[in-house]
Amino acid sequence: MDSEAVKTTRVRKASPRRGPRALPPMPSQDTGDEMPLTKTKKRKSKKEPNGVEDPEDPGVELGELPSRRQSESREPLTPEPQDIPPQKKKKKKKVQTPDLATYQEGDPANQPELVNGDGVEHHTDGEEVTRKTKRKKKSKTPEMHYSNELSVEDDDIITDVQPPIPQHSLFSAPLGHSQPVGKVFVERSRRFQAADRLDLTKAGDPMDDLMEVRPLWTTRDVALRVHSGFRVIGLFSHGFLAGYAVWNIIVVYVLAGEQLSTLPNLLQQYHSLAYPSQSLLYLLLSISTVSAFDRVNLAKASMALRGFLTLDPAALASFLYFAALILSLSQQMTSDRINLYPTANETLWPPGSEHQILQPWIVVNLVVALFVGLAWVFVSTRPEMDYTEEFLMAMEVEEYPRMDEKAEIPA
Amino acid sequence: MLQTSNYSLVLLIQLSLLAFDLFVNSFSELLRAAPVIQLVLFIIQDIAILFNVIIILLMLFNTYVFQVGLVSLLLERFRALLLLSALYLALSIALHCWILNLRWLNSNRFVWTDGLQTLFVFQRLAAVLYYYLYKRATEYLGDPRLYEDSPWLRDAFARARQ
Repeated sequence: MDSEAVKTTRVRKASPRRGPRALPPMPSQDTGDEMPLTKTKKRKSKKEPNGVEDPEDPGVELGELPSRRQSESREPLTPEPQDIPPQKKKKKKKVQTPDLATYQEGDPANQPELVNGDGVEHHTDGEEVTRKTKRKKKSKTPEMHYSNELSVEDDDIITDVQPPIPQHSLFSAPLGHSQPVGKVFVERSRRFQAADRLDLTKAGDPMDDLMEVRPLWTTRDVALRVHSGFRVIGLFSHGFLAGYAVWNIIVVYVLAGEQLSTLPNLLQQYHSLAYPSQSLLYLLLSISTVSAFDRVNLAKASMALRGFLTLDPAALASFLYFAALILSLSQQMTSDRINLYPTANETLWPPGSEHQILQPWIVVNLVVALFVGLAWVFVSTRPEMDYTEEFLMAMEVEEYPRMDEKAEIPA
Repeated sequence: MLQTSNYSLVLLIQLSLLAFDLFVNSFSELLRAAPVIQLVLFIIQDIAILFNVIIILLMLFNTYVFQVGLVSLLLERFRALLLLSALYLALSIALHCWILNLRWLNSNRFVWTDGLQTLFVFQRLAAVLYYYLYKRATEYLGDPRLYEDSPWLRDAFARARQ
């Protein structure tokens, strides 16, 4: 209890030092009672080197207080235990933020708060030596502070903050170098984080970051990579399909015998292969057709039409593949019929109907094999030709007038 | 701005769905030992088509061109894909319903008629065109100019306002 009394008296002595400006309720005197001495000492040791630039500042504040704040400052001094917890909270908040919030925003109105906070904490420290020195300073400078108590401090603030303001126009975004403090807040991954101003200036604008990343691996590069990868798959598919179709038709003719004389033998041997081969044919034909369409850039009608008219190999190949696809699909029913040959009844395979059913199927398969082989020959003459890839690569250059023309149509 | 990693991931999903679609189209006839297998495959295939359409629509909505209101530019470019996707989805659902309805009780019987054969051919042809247009659209949506302001976009916007 004695120590509390001593502290309150110290605070009352210290209270005249407070600044004259209207301040938000600062964690001043009462919290100083609650704070342990070690904390205040630490804070003092921190603030002495960096906080107050002008050594006269404490003296300035000493002189100002008796004028206005004496009565105000005494009110919170009355020891009210129920008031302590909220003031504690405020103190904690202040302790966390001074380096970040008040200084970093560079708000001139916030700086005097901190200056005053310094003054208050000096008083709560309660060291006799410093107080004596301050009293000496106080005795030196009272007239000046009574005369223009606000202007002196405003000068201190203005010299720090105001010069950068006229450098920027009203509509320009606040730049990093306009901040008068060492830290700024930058939005990264949807939250604001404090960052050193020096780092920010080193990193430059966010647009600079994008410009640095973009040459490495853009979405266009990914698209081109996927496209070229699929072209490799397509190239493999072209060759494999041609070889497979030729092998298939050879097997069919060998099993069918001379002049299609051994068709029951073909059905016996081939019925288990008919449906898998049909499925594989569709798979390979799909990939090959898509790849051929890519090469001729079918979606751009003018380019595709020009390719067909000039008998471009890619255009011919895509036509042949598409025709082969239609023909192959049209034989799905017959393939299923062949597939069901072992379990067939009289209605599915009437006696003597093999030739009538199988001959068109064999002929269509032969035509498919011819088309596919021919298309592979066309593609293999110029395997590197790919109009879609050229179109993708020329996105920046060629598409601009084209998109512009398109813009006229809806307009 | 579209991030490269996001685009790569979306592209991977789209191409995976396309590959699954191609697999089902190719080999579903071989996997008809039990009708339930075909049923599950067909349901997943139709959902995959629907997902692909939703993804491409979301990618279109994500473009800067769409956000400034120049939908006609995008429609001009991707109208064929959107129409064909809808057609392919309708054909697929119709074919799947028809085939499953015929094969539900006896999966290993001959079900083909001229109508089914015709629907089958059109569905498979639409599938190939859908693969081509969809792959092309996904690659074209990697165009960085669709996601940022540029002179041609400003010109198009000015002309659209006149």
